[in-house]
Amino acid sequence: MQYRHVQAIDGKGAVHGIALDGNGQLYAAGDSGIEVFDAAGRFNRRWPTSKPALAVAVASDGAVYAGEAGQIEIFDGTGKPIATWRDQKLLGRVTAIGFTGDSVLAGDAADRAIRRFDRSGKFLNNIGKDNPVNGLLIPNGVVDFGVDAQGIVYAANPGKHRVERYTPGGELLGHIGRFDGVDPAGFTGCCNPTNVAIRDGIYTTEKAGPRVKAYDFSGKLLAVIATDLFDANCKNMSIAVDARGRVYVVDTVKAAILIFERVNA
Amino acid sequence: MSGLPQVVVRACVVLVLLVQSAPAQAIPYQRPVDTAPQADSIGGGYKVPAVQKPLPRDYWLQVVDVVALAAAMGVSVWLVLRRRSRRWLTALTIGCLAYFGFYRQGCICPIGSLQNVVVALADPRYSIPMVVTATFVLPLVVALYFGRAFCGGVCALGAIQELVVLKPVQVPRRLDRALGLLKYVYLGLAVLFAVKPALARDFLICRFDPFVGFFRRTGAPHMLILGAAFLVAGMFVGRPYCRYLCPYGGLLAWCARLARRGVTITPNKELDCGLCAEACPYGAIERMRAVRRNCLYCARCYASCPRERGVAS
Amino acid sequence: MSEDLTRRTVLAALAGGAVFLVKKANGQIVWQVNAARCINSRLGDTGVEACNLCTTECVVALSAVRAVNEYSKCGRCNICPAYFNISSAVNELGQPGEKLCPRDAIARKPIGKVDPEDPANNFYEYIIDEEKCDGCGKCVLKCKEPLGLGSITLRVRYDRCVNCNRCSISRACPQNALMQLPIGQAL
Repeated sequence: MQYRHVQAIDGKGAVHGIALDGNGQLYAAGDSGIEVFDAAGRFNRRWPTSKPALAVAVASDGAVYAGEAGQIEIFDGTGKPIATWRDQKLLGRVTAIGFTGDSVLAGDAADRAIRRFDRSGKFLNNIGKDNPVNGLLIPNGVVDFGVDAQGIVYAANPGKHRVERYTPGGELLGHIGRFDGVDPAGFTGCCNPTNVAIRDGIYTTEKAGPRVKAYDFSGKLLAVIATDLFDANCKNMSIAVDARGRVYVVDTVKAAILIFERVNA
Repeated sequence: MSGLPQVVVRACVVLVLLVQSAPAQAIPYQRPVDTAPQADSIGGGYKVPAVQKPLPRDYWLQVVDVVALAAAMGVSVWLVLRRRSRRWLTALTIGCLAYFGFYRQGCICPIGSLQNVVVALADPRYSIPMVVTATFVLPLVVALYFGRAFCGGVCALGAIQELVVLKPVQVPRRLDRALGLLKYVYLGLAVLFAVKPALARDFLICRFDPFVGFFRRTGAPHMLILGAAFLVAGMFVGRPYCRYLCPYGGLLAWCARLARRGVTITPNKELDCGLCAEACPYGAIERMRAVRRNCLYCARCYASCPRERGVAS
Repeated sequence: MSEDLTRRTVLAALAGGAVFLVKKANGQIVWQVNAARCINSRLGDTGVEACNLCTTECVVALSAVRAVNEYSKCGRCNICPAYFNISSAVNELGQPGEKLCPRDAIARKPIGKVDPEDPANNFYEYIIDEEKCDGCGKCVLKCKEPLGLGSITLRVRYDRCVNCNRCSISRACPQNALMQLPIGQAL
């Protein structure tokens, strides 16, 4: 499979996380708040958050969840604040947000765990925390995960060079990926993949030799989407994939979102 | 009339488009939030080990070095002026070479310390440790009263040259005095480079020390060859570095001129044989007397005197 | 007589100078590597070669500069790019086959809660043996962000440094990374 770079969107200030909604609009969480771009990549609106936003996700009802240090802020589609969930212990540093069934999932990098809450904010269970033994090994300060259509959580475990599969209840089902410094099918460096997105496959980003790759659900490498279009110093590049198969990746140094399109099936 | 505003509008449109298409500013690359796992996250009773921070040599040991320097000079004065034993002086020479030379690796030495003193006087931000000031001052004070006792058996650079003197030739007086001026040139250059501002500053005496490579048992090849050349030359021309190049020797010579006491060859009356002048490898004997400013305290003169040995009546 | 007077004058001058200098005396200044300038550890440069001038220029036989791992900043990763040569082929344990340090100065041991079945599921401590390390900087370069977390830097070790007036490494360093500091700050 081949991909080509089709567009670049410039964020205002540092961009930490991106997400897509059901209409293909792109939401970018950054130091200055949430920015929204339409499906063609044109800037739509922005609104500030009370703290620098580290992650963003859009629920099926259109509510925008922004992950920050110590809290999650929930806005409606126009940026009007709906609620704030504050918890220093459970939401120390929220670097990824996802949804499975009726639950909201938040990745807490401060505690190396994924938290599961119900829609009202009540904590249900941990995923990946010390399970087994040491759980998610996160030296880079970012917990990232994606959720597939069946509600299975795919968490990036960079210290083990794997993407691990968990049930929403926290049970470890298996993993794909292994370390390999030579073979592109493996994850290189000390801790990769840093970020992951799930759509029709598993899409990962790596740092230090920045790389975006696509795997199928059995772990077979499908494509190396991009390598040298990113600044060599990029780290923790957030990734999102839309229904058309377009891949959105953040260049954290240039503060831009690069969009890639599949060339042949 | 309508042409001008149209041009202006067009220009504005072009400008706005240019600004919009200009790339966003790159975020200056900086170290992100400290993310390394800490002891509580690692668990299992793990404690983060402390990073070793080795300290330099204890201060009291540096003081011991200064005391040793003073003591060695005291012994040198006593051996050369009172006890008058060349054998014991050689023992002192070997001992000081071993300690100040090979053990302390020739650093800190009074010769180099003159640069530090100059820097400290010239640069208000430079602060010189007390032991270095003491190392600079002590041999000069001794020279003021007793002559160049430091040169005789205490200075490591002198000691190594002293021990290789084999068949010294007498350098013609005029040449000897002319070459002796070189050490004042070197002194001037050392001072000149020491007073430069911090990054331009150069410590010439340290850089061009020919013997420090032997003391450290490692060094740049050209410096080791230079040191060996000095030693080979020193077999035939006694202590060439000390007589012609040592900048501190220049200061010692000035102080030794004023010394009340110095090396005496015969206590009451000298002979005419001139054996002392022949024995002196350093050309320091004039008119049967040791010239204080050039005398390097080696005690060869009276060791070869027949009166000393009680041969002549 | 005038000789006496001159001698006393010179003595007074020496004493006065010594007192003046002693009053200024303020503890020791030593040389240290500035990690923000050293090309092995400063942020931003990628694709450079490790600089080993600290090893080759030091006048001491085995350089006084060592790679030092600041443990509280270390990621304790299973596959450490400073320990392993990550460009080498993977062996049957799933680890790179070769180690990076040419003098084998880094030791690796598991810490914390150890998973006996899955070695990738552990934290590892990386300890640099200062008797073997010669400050070549290879591990420092690989630990640098973004590949690592930058916990390893080159540092002058004062039990080995002879504290030259003009450090010959400082003379050679193209980045001017050697600077003089009071001992309290330099440690």
